[in-house]
Amino acid sequence: MSNPSEINGGAAVAMVGKDCVAIASDLRLGLQSVGISGDFEKIFEYNGVYLALTGLATDVQTLSIDFRKKHSLYELREERRMEPQTMANLVSSTLYSKRFGPYFVGPLVAGLNSSTSKPYICSFDSIGCIEHANDFVVVGTASDQLYGICESLYEPNLEPEDLFETISQALMSAVDRDALSGWGGVVYIIEKDKVTKRYLKTRQD
Amino acid sequence: MDILIGLQTANEVILVTSRAISRGVSVLKHDDNKVVKLNSYTAMAYSGEPGDVSNFAEYIQANVALYGLRHGIEMTPNSVAAFTRSELARSLRTRKPYQVNLLIGGFHPREAKPMLAWVDYLGSKVDLPYAAHGYAAYYITATLDRYWKKGLTLEQGLKLAAQCVSELQTRMPIDFKGCDVHIVGKSGIQSADLPPIVVAPGVANKPSEATLASA
Amino acid sequence: MADRYSFSLTTFSPNGKLIQIEYALQAVNQGVTSVGIKAKNGVVLATEKKASSQLIDNDSLSKISQITPDIGMVYAGMGPDYRVLVDNARKAVHSNYKQIYNEYPPTRILVQDVAKIVQEATQMGGVRPYGVSLLVAGHDNSQNFGLYQIDPSGSYYPWKATAIGRGSSSAKTFLEKRWSEDLELEDAIHITLLTLKESIEGEMNGENVEIAIVGEPADHLLGFEGVQASGPRFRTLSVQEIQDRVDSL
Repeated sequence: MSNPSEINGGAAVAMVGKDCVAIASDLRLGLQSVGISGDFEKIFEYNGVYLALTGLATDVQTLSIDFRKKHSLYELREERRMEPQTMANLVSSTLYSKRFGPYFVGPLVAGLNSSTSKPYICSFDSIGCIEHANDFVVVGTASDQLYGICESLYEPNLEPEDLFETISQALMSAVDRDALSGWGGVVYIIEKDKVTKRYLKTRQD
Repeated sequence: MDILIGLQTANEVILVTSRAISRGVSVLKHDDNKVVKLNSYTAMAYSGEPGDVSNFAEYIQANVALYGLRHGIEMTPNSVAAFTRSELARSLRTRKPYQVNLLIGGFHPREAKPMLAWVDYLGSKVDLPYAAHGYAAYYITATLDRYWKKGLTLEQGLKLAAQCVSELQTRMPIDFKGCDVHIVGKSGIQSADLPPIVVAPGVANKPSEATLASA
Repeated sequence: MADRYSFSLTTFSPNGKLIQIEYALQAVNQGVTSVGIKAKNGVVLATEKKASSQLIDNDSLSKISQITPDIGMVYAGMGPDYRVLVDNARKAVHSNYKQIYNEYPPTRILVQDVAKIVQEATQMGGVRPYGVSLLVAGHDNSQNFGLYQIDPSGSYYPWKATAIGRGSSSAKTFLEKRWSEDLELEDAIHITLLTLKESIEGEMNGENVEIAIVGEPADHLLGFEGVQASGPRFRTLSVQEIQDRVDSL
């Protein structure tokens, strides 16, 4: 109970494939060891840019709404889409603005650049420090497990179908070794002009 | 040690709340009401820090009423839940946050659908088919996991609620003086009584044959 | 009787005008002419740099300012008001944009921010409107090259080519005849000089004309080489560069 990021539990991962990106998370929301809900989605879509928010559920909900507002105002004002990279910087500055009383979240951003279709993924700490990667990024209470499994399963330039398989197996293996994550999963495969969302059935313990 | 249970049936939501107010080992009150009516189709069950609960419930009730007065149309149960959540989330970052856990039961008259929202003092909100707060959750989530199913009739729902209460009577360390039941459905908010459940003294509650057969 | 409504700039006159804003516009129309032309591959801003005395040290004075690496601004009207706006514009770039998105704002966004500052001075108590019109030239990836004018009222207009200040109406008539869709940046600079020449009293040279362009990235201004990075698109032309172009008119 002392660590706010570990009250509700949850984990997320994003991976880069060939001309595509994938982002996935579990569906659990709990109070310590007690599972409360198995359909608590942690991935939010902002016109083609995907944001996963793990950590304290109240902050996940507050921030997902805050970014909805900021993203909508940006697109109305600028009359153009917000790129994944711009979203990443927005997430960073929003989190850092609460440097001395942070939101207890672990975010991920994933998407394709709207003009170049270049894959983009990154993760953050709770005060907005961006971590870039060209393979995979992980956050949440199962992040240690995710790092391990991603290091061994990931390979570059996977086609969308293979990327789905890789990210799903990585997520499922990792959350099975974490008591605070699991209870189902959700995976988004993002291609240039197609996004596929699939739910994963996982162990219910 | 307050008990809050909520469960959805096909056409309504049942809210079950304990009647006792206890401080440590003493029971101070045996007919407390822990449900507040927010508008025609929304009821809120609350528990937590004694001063906070009544103050917060009153604040939410007043604001939901104000919205109805200003707009000439009542807030939907979903918007009530979202509003309440945001108030708790805001309060969480203040010097003294409200320590209140809630179950919001509602009915959408237009879509004829019940809804139940679980909200904790941190401002986390989840829509659930059945839910509980506090120690009660430890004892009865298993019962609900096992016997709750989609499309229960009101009668079946009340029976299941009674079964939960009887389980709590067996397990809770002190007497919670029984439970109040509120039903939110198409005819608004009503209170009800739980159907009697026969339990052999000193024996852990077992599901009735009828519930087993319907599961 | 018209004076009855000129004491408070936030009070409408019966004919629906805010007199103080009209006066601000008059201040602009007494100012030195500035010209802006948008071409296919760039934008040019130019103005006359009029020294009030022989003794003025002309090269330490500049009227065209850089706001971001890809956006520049010039004015007609009151110099001191302009410098306040340049300060505010540069500040707005960072606090409203760069510190949030870690990138510089597109031209239109900056123009809207500056126009907002200008508008606020027409409605707030205890202040007077800015006595300047601005020409803002810039480039961004979504809208490419842009040229905007901002007036003391806070209105702004996108232009292909325009002029502000004393000689603006005749300059605009001139530009209407000269501007075409397939203008190159170099042609635009040429036309700018021809336009200014009409309003300049006496000889025009590299010393008394100021020109800035927004064109291809000026990588030599980056200060380093070796890695992929593009330099600023906004660049002021040197006295020599202007003199060369004046000579070849």
